[in-house]
Amino acid sequence: MLIGAFNLTKFIDSLSMTFVSGYFLLFVIIVVAFYYAASLKNRWVALLVGSLGFCAVMGGWQIVVMPVLVTVISYCAALMLEDKSEERSKRRIILIAAGAVLLIALALVKLNLYYKWDVKRFVFPVGISYYTFSAISYMADVYWGKDKAERNYFKLLLFISFFPKILQGPIARYKTLGKQLIIGHPFFYTQFCYGMQLAVWGYFKKMVVADRISILTTTVFNSYNNYGGAILFFSMILAALQLYCDFSGCMDIAGGVSQMFGISLEQNFNHPFFAKSGAEFWQRWHMTLSGWFKDYLFLPISRSSFVKKFSKKIGNKHGAKARKNTVIFISSFFVWMATGLWHGSGLPYIVWGIYWYVIINSSILLERPYASLKSKLKIDEDKFGWKLFQMIRTYLIFSFGRLLTIPNDLHATGEIIRNFFTKINMWELFDGTLYSLGLTIKEMHILAIAVVLLWIVEIQQTKFSVREKIANCNVVIRSLVYSGSVIIVLIYGIYGPVYEKASFIYMNF
Amino acid sequence: MEKLYELLENCCPTVDFKTEKELVSGKVIDSVDLVSIISDIEDEFGVNIDIAEIDPSNFDSAEQMWALIESLR
Repeated sequence: MLIGAFNLTKFIDSLSMTFVSGYFLLFVIIVVAFYYAASLKNRWVALLVGSLGFCAVMGGWQIVVMPVLVTVISYCAALMLEDKSEERSKRRIILIAAGAVLLIALALVKLNLYYKWDVKRFVFPVGISYYTFSAISYMADVYWGKDKAERNYFKLLLFISFFPKILQGPIARYKTLGKQLIIGHPFFYTQFCYGMQLAVWGYFKKMVVADRISILTTTVFNSYNNYGGAILFFSMILAALQLYCDFSGCMDIAGGVSQMFGISLEQNFNHPFFAKSGAEFWQRWHMTLSGWFKDYLFLPISRSSFVKKFSKKIGNKHGAKARKNTVIFISSFFVWMATGLWHGSGLPYIVWGIYWYVIINSSILLERPYASLKSKLKIDEDKFGWKLFQMIRTYLIFSFGRLLTIPNDLHATGEIIRNFFTKINMWELFDGTLYSLGLTIKEMHILAIAVVLLWIVEIQQTKFSVREKIANCNVVIRSLVYSGSVIIVLIYGIYGPVYEKASFIYMNF
Repeated sequence: MEKLYELLENCCPTVDFKTEKELVSGKVIDSVDLVSIISDIEDEFGVNIDIAEIDPSNFDSAEQMWALIESLR
């Protein structure tokens, strides 16, 4: 256990290769060296070897099997889907069949996790949800004529297995990422530095904030009956922040490492806690997943003949607004069920999907009463106070939703919610109980300072590029910022026993 | 074209369709608005818009939508 002091030996020795590991840093240095040593034409080969090597070192060659098979299926399917001499109906069957095979494989992985079958090593390749969705979007885009089929199997394999994104995404589109991976990028010092900065910021979010909060939330939620409503509520608030820092931290590391190769990954987060409604939140949180569901589920369902006919019937009876709402309510139901099941296999995830379905759609359904209420209360929507209220409300809605899945047991969630109201014990926040949850007073202060720093940077990021601002400072300030950031992560990062190696939350999806 | 502007303004009254050139890629309209616009276009102009045509390059501006309608007629 080591909190607050850096132990290099433990840091290197204790971890298998995930992003938060000494081996990973060493690995990135090696791949970067090989990438820029290779000719421009062959740089993609260095990335492919590195990506397959990453999978192999991370979990053995079994982990490599699934991306290789997923690529075989999508490669063959895309070539057939592009052949316009085939009838459209036949190509459609190919798309459905290939998509179904990939989704069945994904479902088996999910069921294996849920029922704990004894085939874990083979069917639990990490990140399968992410690259399966990338493969399906690639095939669908080729089928619709929005993208061309890749002729070189190994180039497609690189797209599927590119190591910075294989663990937790983002869910890449071939149109955006594929060509970037294949073109050899020349070395640009500024871009390389920006990449390192972003990765260090990601490590700060993950190791200083998320893993520190994790100690507290794990203690509380593992024995929730021992704590009163105030502590439970406080932990619920922190758990939402933990998830954000864990996931967006990983995205920053992935984005930063990719940028070192001159490659831009798609944006996955856009300051979600500044969202003023549930709908806006999902436009800012895990954006590549929302975008995927929009393009490959919401649009096809809303354009299906059944939905079109049914909504038209409703529209003829009740008007255009009712028709529009019918389309939304039917299509988004499938989207939210799928989003829930994408995150996990049990009932809590289905309830979580229904929870968001109701929240988002009730705001559409109750749009007029809300507007009338706001007018009656004379609420000025441009006032900062109102916007702040909306942001806090959205944060609480998200935190509460997260509570449905944290214990992975609805009965436990119910108990926690009951304790919010029946065991309110505000005094627990001030009588020292807070410091008995795994974090000492000093650790809590570090956490508080880190969260304030996080928020300041997040606010600044909405106004200008913090990285460019730092880059424009003189060499002394720049060096202080760079070295200070690294030292903060090394000293205040969490490397203790409560911190489980490879424990990125979204890696399990 | 005037008919199209009228339809678009009815669907999203706060958006200036005469000047906006990044309706979808700039996230000025969301997927719900897009689906409504497509349904209204199909009803108004008697065309059938295939899912393959639902792409920012066809829906980023009123002019692009008009070009799509013309090509489908």
